[in-house]
Amino acid sequence: MSGPIVGGLAALASALGGFFALGLAMDRHYEDSFGRGSSAGRKARWLQAGGALGLVLSLVVCSGLRGAAQGAVLWCGVMTASAIVVALMLSYAPRHSARVLAATSTVAVMALAMRWLS
Amino acid sequence: MKEGFRQSMAWLHTWSGLLVGWVLFLVFCAGTASYFKDEITFWMKPELHQAASEPVTPVLAAERSVAFLQQRGPDAQRWFISLPTAREPMVRMFWNPKPKPLPPGAERPRRGRFENAALDPATGQPAEAARETRGGEFLYRLHYDLHYMPALWARWIVGFCAMFMLVAIVSGIVTHKRIFKDFFTFRPRKGQRSWLDAHNATAVLALPYHLMITYTGIVTLMFMYMPWGPQVAYKGDEKTFNAEVFPSGGNRNAKAAGTPAPLVAVGPLMARAQAHWGEGSRVGRLEVMHPNDANAVVTISRQSGQDLSSIQPSMTFNGVTGELIATAGDTAGAAVETRGVLYGLHLAHFSSGLLRALFFLSGLAGCVMVATGLLLWGVKERQKFAKALKQGGRVSFGLRLVDGLNVAAIAGLPIAFATYFWANRLLPVGIAGRPQEEITCFFAAWGVAAVAGLAWPARRMWQIQLWLGAALFALVPLVNALTGPGNLGMAISRGLWSVAGFDLVCVGLGLALAAAAWWVGKRKPSPARPRAAAVTPGGSQMEAAR
Amino acid sequence: MTQAPAHPSPAARLANASPSTRHRWLSVGSEGLRYRVGVAVRAMAAIFGGYLLSALSAGVLALVLPGERLEAAVMSTLLAFVVYPCAVMWVFAARTAARAVVGLLLPCAALGAVLLAHFYLGAGA
Repeated sequence: MSGPIVGGLAALASALGGFFALGLAMDRHYEDSFGRGSSAGRKARWLQAGGALGLVLSLVVCSGLRGAAQGAVLWCGVMTASAIVVALMLSYAPRHSARVLAATSTVAVMALAMRWLS
Repeated sequence: MKEGFRQSMAWLHTWSGLLVGWVLFLVFCAGTASYFKDEITFWMKPELHQAASEPVTPVLAAERSVAFLQQRGPDAQRWFISLPTAREPMVRMFWNPKPKPLPPGAERPRRGRFENAALDPATGQPAEAARETRGGEFLYRLHYDLHYMPALWARWIVGFCAMFMLVAIVSGIVTHKRIFKDFFTFRPRKGQRSWLDAHNATAVLALPYHLMITYTGIVTLMFMYMPWGPQVAYKGDEKTFNAEVFPSGGNRNAKAAGTPAPLVAVGPLMARAQAHWGEGSRVGRLEVMHPNDANAVVTISRQSGQDLSSIQPSMTFNGVTGELIATAGDTAGAAVETRGVLYGLHLAHFSSGLLRALFFLSGLAGCVMVATGLLLWGVKERQKFAKALKQGGRVSFGLRLVDGLNVAAIAGLPIAFATYFWANRLLPVGIAGRPQEEITCFFAAWGVAAVAGLAWPARRMWQIQLWLGAALFALVPLVNALTGPGNLGMAISRGLWSVAGFDLVCVGLGLALAAAAWWVGKRKPSPARPRAAAVTPGGSQMEAAR
Repeated sequence: MTQAPAHPSPAARLANASPSTRHRWLSVGSEGLRYRVGVAVRAMAAIFGGYLLSALSAGVLALVLPGERLEAAVMSTLLAFVVYPCAVMWVFAARTAARAVVGLLLPCAALGAVLLAHFYLGAGA
């Protein structure tokens, strides 16, 4: 796969995974996904840390794609698109959120690895 | 005002948004379309839809345009040549022919007439086979020059609305108490709360974009709106300030000598410019003042899109000897560079591919943000009249007006856009004033929709207009296939991504409008009950997207 | 997020009134009129007073900012459009309309004085 496509995929997937994690760390969305009364509890910290990491990795990839200045602009756009997708999923299909989080994280890790190794 | 800071900011947010919301909706729709104005123009010239021709070196393209202009306008005062870019394959040229001698007593018109032409760089022949159309440029100019009024008035109006928008954004941020807690919150099927969630989501999730686009929009015309800094710093010497802040690098006021002299070859000049600017630079524009005259001057500017900043360095050469006169824009101070970056962010020339698509997506989010805000106000206001309505009373004039304007703008504007594209294909080629006729169709369609909406802002009218807009947009590829040289399948197979993309985006918008129309039909009509408003996935996000 | 103001608005009162008492533009008592006058005063102050304050800020910043005059001219204009929304927000956050106006006029006077001093007294004008 060509560089920019893998890069774009890595940036989007990282941001998606990041926002999913941050969303699930919130009680309200965790409840929607895993049943009423449940809460992330201690896992919330890990989810938030992982989420932040995902967003930072997305920024790193964007800077790598287009340099620092344009990369920051690209990152904002990637975050907007990812956040919209996550908000829609958490509203309309919350039960699947955990699975989608796992899937996007896997894709992100793979794309990042491909980028880093190529 | 007495109620606390947050509440006063909520009041301010409501009114600064509502009063100018309909103008802002137009600006956002047209501005978002402008990200792809070159592609829109290309789609609107089906005669050019053959496989992309072989790219030609910039020097060859420039030499061919000079040859063309030597034939068509050798005695013009100025030539402007824009070289092809990845998104605009033709060379664009403007020149003003020497004005004819006036009959005695007649006044000289204040602005010189400019002729223009597009050249196919591969053949050196004018691309005159394409139909006359303003294309995407109309939509681009619409978002700051409006139409049917002097540009100056329009820019003041749009600037005024932009300031209101900036206040609305900032007050909205201040007043949004749970901006992080509610970050992903969207509760469909809950009436007013769903509208609020949709408004919050499209606003907050694209907040960097909204802040940026509003502030930078004001920055593009900031010296017109706020000339006082330069006035004080330069003690009223506007000419010097303009020369310094918009460096043309040459003597703009040089007069023609009157003695003919051969124009220097531009190829070597372009090579020198590219060498000076460094690796990866391309020449974007050439400007020749007084060609074929002893005082000729050639200014070569770099192509935009390399950096964030909109400032392009330029080099000015003597038009006869080729000697370098001046360079400009190579270095810029921090403030000038900042302004350049802000301007560049607004124009987004540097963006391509994924980034441009994300800008477009954010722009659509802005359209939805404005539309949901306007609709939210109507929903909230209507609740105040719930009791009165149950007893057979009427709503206030203000609410009725807002309802009507909402239909006119949110449902009417998509109809206008789609009509513009249909008119491009259905109006006969070769009629006089064709570009203006297409534009008239845009406004005629909008006018009819607006009058209908204002006259009867009921649910049924929403349904009619949304379905009409949906049909017009979704059938665009069919119109393309019937009136163009190819169809969507052929465009994809030949790699004509701009044509295929245009068709596909129109279908997408049509589907979104259809979803909105279907959702409007599903809702219970009674206004007195709390609204059991179902919001479908397509409906809420894309309901008012063009 | 947004809550009704502490005193019942004319609209709220109207909702409870009979359908015949429909006209909102006539004041529903003196309180309604005072409210509208206050809004009008603030709106004028925000739009025109805010512009005045931004313009004066641009002028003074153009004098005060370091660097070449081109730099100062551009930066002062960029900052003026940050001042403007802040001024508007102040006008609507102030507790009374009178306070809002005074709160704008005082800095305007100060900035104006600085500009006057510069042009008529200092720097050989």
